Amino acid sequence: MAVVDAAVAVEAGPVRGRAGAWWLRNLEIAVPAAVVALVALACFVGPLVLPVPPPIGGSVLESYLPAGSPGHLLGTDPNGNDILSRILHGGRSSLTVAVAVNLLGLAVGGTLGALSGYLGGATDTVIMRVLDVLIAFPSLVLTLAVAQSLGASQTNTVLALAFFSVPAFARISRAATLRLRELPFMAAAQLCGTPGWRVLARHVAPNIAPQLITFAMLGMGIVIVIEGALSFLGLGIPPPAPSWGNMISQGQQSLSATPALVVWPCLALFVTVLAFNLLGETLRARWSGR
Amino acid sequence: MTVPTATPAGTAPSDPRDDRAPGRLATVLASPGTRLVGKRVLLAVPIVVGVSILTFWVLNLIPGNAAQQLLGPEATAEQVRALEQELGLDQPGYVRYLDWLGAAVTGDLGTSLVSRQPVTALLGERLAVTGELVGLAFLVSLGLAVPVALLAAYRPGRMFDRVSMLVSITGLSVANYVLALLLVLLFAVELALFPAIGFVPLSQSVAGNLHSMALPVAAISFPLFCFYTRFLRGDLVDQLQGEDYITTARAKGIGPGQVLLRHAFRNSSFGLITVVGLNLGTLIGGTVIVEQIFALPGIGQLMLQAVNTRDFVVVQACVLVFAVVAVLANLVADLLYAVLDPRIRYGSR
Repeated sequence: MAVVDAAVAVEAGPVRGRAGAWWLRNLEIAVPAAVVALVALACFVGPLVLPVPPPIGGSVLESYLPAGSPGHLLGTDPNGNDILSRILHGGRSSLTVAVAVNLLGLAVGGTLGALSGYLGGATDTVIMRVLDVLIAFPSLVLTLAVAQSLGASQTNTVLALAFFSVPAFARISRAATLRLRELPFMAAAQLCGTPGWRVLARHVAPNIAPQLITFAMLGMGIVIVIEGALSFLGLGIPPPAPSWGNMISQGQQSLSATPALVVWPCLALFVTVLAFNLLGETLRARWSGR
Repeated sequence: MTVPTATPAGTAPSDPRDDRAPGRLATVLASPGTRLVGKRVLLAVPIVVGVSILTFWVLNLIPGNAAQQLLGPEATAEQVRALEQELGLDQPGYVRYLDWLGAAVTGDLGTSLVSRQPVTALLGERLAVTGELVGLAFLVSLGLAVPVALLAAYRPGRMFDRVSMLVSITGLSVANYVLALLLVLLFAVELALFPAIGFVPLSQSVAGNLHSMALPVAAISFPLFCFYTRFLRGDLVDQLQGEDYITTARAKGIGPGQVLLRHAFRNSSFGLITVVGLNLGTLIGGTVIVEQIFALPGIGQLMLQAVNTRDFVVVQACVLVFAVVAVLANLVADLLYAVLDPRIRYGSR
């Protein structure tokens, strides 16, 4: 009974083609998942096995090399650093931040929302009112203030962004828990005398997990975009360490002369976010049985 | 959802449209609609206060103190202390918050630490620029999203639907700063059709103003358009497939276009209003980066400058404006519900 939603989702999944491998029948999941896997592999393993120079410490003598130069596939930036290498290392920090933020948001927000929905009453009111304040808050604005006050660093970016992802996860978790509360197996568990924490852990958590994971996929895209925005404004990953956002910002200064400096990191950002969005949208459509 | 035009049961005593002259005001005041308005307004106040406390608290975390920042690194300890006293920075946080709140209630948001101008004066002109930007973006995105979503939902799964859904998921994946830079690259650098940066005030030239606003508005409204199109199309298709009132309407012999426009769209518009209301809050925060790219003198740019100079009086005021706008937008969405949906207006739900 703990996997009600998963079973429903499997039944509701569109079954096209009779035979063939799983991934052929589920291209709309397989393709974006493959792109995500490829991006992650390129960013985390790529710099270790590919012959790319380090992302910082390039020589000014080698600045603005065009794409296809020997040793620099995509050319170099104004500081003589290899663009491909910076994109791969930048992707590493973007993905790390996005995964950390979503895991934190999912754990904290998911738990708060499930508690709120399961217990109801005063607990529910207090939690939801506090979260209402956070939702009304222009999150980018506070993240800017936090970044400025505590100093721009990867950890501070993660903490500030995770803080603001909590209300969204909590709302989804609460709504899903409220729907579950009406189902007979919940009443059965309670009638058996199962303690509350056990009901939450064994019956609620597995059933709300699909919705939360789906949202986390969309959340990955959102966080990558916001982290890029922060770095763009100089308040995310501090230069000279590369990130897609600060590469775009650096390239903007010579946009008309060397558009490639902007185009490459923009493309990396777009492809990654698109893959996460497609994955999230497809999963959402399947779980909701549309 | 069921039919919004359903006859509400048992509404005679509290019908606000009731035209009996005596006690009409009393009837309106006692109606569920008015009570709903009151409840929402009362709920909005603690949210705004909560946001202002949170901002104050965060800004107090700033280690580099404002007085030191203003005087520069060469200032002596006495000079810093003197300025701290002058600015009231030596008071404990809650005293400063209550002072600020007291003044804010009377419309005084303090004086900028850097430019020494009243904050309300700084905000005024900048709010107009951001307001124009956001207003135009809403007009453009909703104006395009509604017809596109209607056309897509008219024949789900057909070519137009598929293309519009593909465009919209792509558009949702483009960050607004990425789009802004690509627009600059294409329309300002390559084609030289629009200015890359700069702002022409509306008072100077209407055409020039719109010309300078075109790229920023496009950068903000395209992702919004994609979002609204997806949302409205999804909701319309859900309504058309599963709802009894659609079957009824079809059985009466109403044409598919009329069913879509007069029945499904009327119901879907409620969801759209909520989403637009929720969006406005995030949107006004999202203009920060677009204003920065296009050098528009809006409130986002003001806030970014204030964050960088640690002018926390101005940051506090900007955050307050953002929060009030977000809360007001939600409030207006809730109230529009009450105006449009008889079930809520008559308190039957």
